[in-house]
Amino acid sequence: MTTGQAVTGSKIRWSAINLIVVFFAITPVLWIVSLSLKQPSTFTDGSFIPRKITFDNYLGIFRTGGFARPLLNSIGIGLISTAIAIVLGVFAAYAIARLNFPGRRVMLGASLLIAMFPQVSLVTPLFQIERSLHLFNTWPGLILPYVTFTLPLTIYTLSAFFREIPWELEKAAKMDGATPFQAFRHVIVPLAVPGVVTATILAFIQCWNDFLFAIALTSSDSARTAPAAISFFTGASQFEDPTGSIAAAAVVITIPIVIFVLVFQSRIVSGLTSGAVKG
Amino acid sequence: MGKWPSTPAVSRPRWRCLILVISLAVASPLLVSCGTENAGVVINIFNGPEENFSSIVDRCNSLAHGNYRIKLNQLPRDAEGQREQLVRRLAARDSGLDLMDMDITWVAELAEAGWIKEWTGEDKKSVERGTLEKPLKTARWNNKLYAAPYNTNVQLLWYRSDLVPTPPATWDELITAAEKLADQGKPHYVEVTGAQYEGLVVWFNALVTSAGSSILSADGKRVVLDSKARKALEVMKKFATSRAADPSLSNTHEQEANLAFQAGKAPFQVIWPFVYAATRDSNPELLKKLRWAPYPGIDGPGSSPLGGAVFAVGKYSKHPHEAFAAATCLRDPESQKIAAVKDGLPPTIRSVYDDREFIAKYPMRDAILQALETAGERPSTPFYQNISTIVSTVLSPPQAIAPQATLSRLRAEIADALQSKGVLP
Amino acid sequence: MSRHVREEPTTDGMRAEHRLGLLLCAPAAAVMLVVAGWPIIYSFLLSFQRYDLRFPQARGWIGLDNYATVLTNHYWWVAFGVTVLIMVVSVAIELVLGMALAVVMHRTLVARGLLRTAVLIPYGIVSVVAAYGWKYAWTPGTGWLAGFLPENSAPLTQQIPALGIIVLAEVWKTTPFMALLLLAGLALIPDELHRAAEMDGASRWQRFIHITLPLMKPAILVALLFRALDAFRIYDNIYVLTNGAQSTASVSITTYHNLIGGLNLGIGSTLAVLIFLTVALIAFIFIKVFGASSPGTAPGADPKERR
Repeated sequence: MTTGQAVTGSKIRWSAINLIVVFFAITPVLWIVSLSLKQPSTFTDGSFIPRKITFDNYLGIFRTGGFARPLLNSIGIGLISTAIAIVLGVFAAYAIARLNFPGRRVMLGASLLIAMFPQVSLVTPLFQIERSLHLFNTWPGLILPYVTFTLPLTIYTLSAFFREIPWELEKAAKMDGATPFQAFRHVIVPLAVPGVVTATILAFIQCWNDFLFAIALTSSDSARTAPAAISFFTGASQFEDPTGSIAAAAVVITIPIVIFVLVFQSRIVSGLTSGAVKG
Repeated sequence: MGKWPSTPAVSRPRWRCLILVISLAVASPLLVSCGTENAGVVINIFNGPEENFSSIVDRCNSLAHGNYRIKLNQLPRDAEGQREQLVRRLAARDSGLDLMDMDITWVAELAEAGWIKEWTGEDKKSVERGTLEKPLKTARWNNKLYAAPYNTNVQLLWYRSDLVPTPPATWDELITAAEKLADQGKPHYVEVTGAQYEGLVVWFNALVTSAGSSILSADGKRVVLDSKARKALEVMKKFATSRAADPSLSNTHEQEANLAFQAGKAPFQVIWPFVYAATRDSNPELLKKLRWAPYPGIDGPGSSPLGGAVFAVGKYSKHPHEAFAAATCLRDPESQKIAAVKDGLPPTIRSVYDDREFIAKYPMRDAILQALETAGERPSTPFYQNISTIVSTVLSPPQAIAPQATLSRLRAEIADALQSKGVLP
Repeated sequence: MSRHVREEPTTDGMRAEHRLGLLLCAPAAAVMLVVAGWPIIYSFLLSFQRYDLRFPQARGWIGLDNYATVLTNHYWWVAFGVTVLIMVVSVAIELVLGMALAVVMHRTLVARGLLRTAVLIPYGIVSVVAAYGWKYAWTPGTGWLAGFLPENSAPLTQQIPALGIIVLAEVWKTTPFMALLLLAGLALIPDELHRAAEMDGASRWQRFIHITLPLMKPAILVALLFRALDAFRIYDNIYVLTNGAQSTASVSITTYHNLIGGLNLGIGSTLAVLIFLTVALIAFIFIKVFGASSPGTAPGADPKERR
């Protein structure tokens, strides 16, 4: 019986520890949700829980039109950048994981360099280059840096996954007369889908999160993404604070992340760790 | 795995829509709005939040008889944020930027960069006709007119008659009066815009001009900031470390200042006349006790800061002709009266001050006109933004000012900025 | 399993493999080269020019003047110091908390999935959103945390408290990432080692110090390297929380202010180059001095070396 009690005891202890961790992880998020549901008159009560719940802040950000377009930009730019990065990343990662060719290490090194590169160092030259190429404040103007900065992550995650694939199948396909490309297309791609999904999610989260490029390389709603738009929210008048609108918009752009995390928790964990540690 | 058949599962119509949006975004990078329903010319105006500006826009749109339609685009609340957005669009040659409502301090910078159009001919004459000289001067650069004054602004000393029998005339008297109230256990804060932003620069510049000095020479080429300016810094330091200062001085913008005054924490505030309209709307009880006096001086009478806004036409606008016309309407006497009466923004056209409706709403009319006579401008230079950033950084928090050392630092850093050499903090 | 690659009998096959490898890498390499490589070079070129967008006619080559200006400038060194401080303090805290979190996630008996889901939320959340959450939490009158402070305190308007909040926001957001990297290292330690040590009478703490830590050294170094470089480029949090007021600007914030606020491409590029060089130096120190293996060169990365 003593072991049973010990197990129960440690279960309680672990539950308590877990509770503390969960509390720290989600309290700040709940606070923004609470803020977004507060009425303007109760913003200054400092209470964690709204006294009276209102959805006016949510209606407001979509009704005034200041948020719908940036949200569309975020989704569109995020999806296109992710798609391009994944396609390019799959090619490169397959080559790195699978083939022996000169420049393999250079490719890995270059990706690593870019992954660690301070984005702000690119902002100045890109600002100037995009101005002269008329790419400033356009979707491609953001998609290009996003693809570049998500590629390293994609290449690392995907090549780590690709190494786990049973390649004997490919060999078999080759023996049956398939060219290397056919083997790649018909045998490996289906096996690689879980890895691709993981890389897609991570890449999308990264694009969705970007702020620096979004504020530096856009000037209006035609390309400005949601995080940048939020930081430019204004109150309706000189005396109205945009707190409620900011909180509501913040919650809206957090929802996709929460859904990803809930649905793909284990994939994200394995993607993050395999990409970074196992290389 | 089966949950996720392929990479982003986007249905076809959605893709088509996306592609449409992309091609639109590519084809017209400077697309500002999707307003395709109107056939005529759209004039995009960029304006900071101003509650009743839309009614002025509506009025001009109906007067335009379809020649143009003004579309209002909102900028952030803070001046730095507004400038950043405008300048970035201009740097990107944004043709969707027709008309800007800008702070008077940006005229030199944008004119020098060639980003705003000069006012000439009939448009220029109509702007100059009947406009007060002080605001008109801030719209010029190198003797050319680059903007049309929309509103002007001066700060006054606002106080509560139930706590303050006679208003102090200098900052020293102001501090003494506040400390006396503190001794009596009464509300005693003097609200001043002391946060690290343009408001702090406004305060500093007003004290420097009140002391008889200036930040830059008249031609804007050289730093002045002489020993008289040190006196201004001494006053700021004395004020900030006295009991007259609100403990949150280093976080006080216009909004916080007025809130503290409305909440009864402060019997004094040094601020623009919008507080009168704001108090009238939100606190009729307090309005009965609200009084005003000239801007406090150093030794003699003070020189109020000069604020205000102007309209300028963007260089890359595709419809400059209509933009000039729209600006002329948006600043005509009737428009200025709406802004003055509803939003508390003092007009730049002299005749509006004699309008009966205006006089009824502006009991402090004479004080404003008087303050305009002696109001001190901020430096007129293309480097204004750099100077402003340096001043607000060096002087924040005001409690930490060490007059002589602070003055030398200001002199050195501003001199560097005038050579495009400094690094902005 | 990849042995057959080397044993490919014909040189033709090898050549085809080389060609395919290069072909598959070419698009990704091209994008990275054009969007990152060229701007870096361009950045160097701009840093040798006087180029203020407001005075286009005054543009010209001025050699190293910009570097002299920046390296003798008070604001640059303050920003540099602030950035290094934020980097060191937040990464140190993250290492301790992240290790604790990794151990909890590794050892917990209950609700492992829930725990991992919860800690992924800070990782995934848009950093601007998180920063606004912290900003409002500490805003006097509005925030639930500000209520615990003495009256009239506005922590975000004073340098030290503001830096504290910036570090807090940074730590909250990135500790989960650190923990996940460490967790992967933790999972590689064979349980038998622990059991053997336990039999020898080693306490929990002794086992952690003598078994876990040494075996995790590579994972810890990689995690530190990643986070240090990431923390050095801190931007979003500061932009929202203070925008660099009261000497809380990081080097990224300062660069942005000089570029977009000051429209000074010359100085802005000089700052960009200096940040780039610093990051390279930090990476070099980690790899050479501490012997961190960069992910690309970790064992198992090379098909030839694997297993």
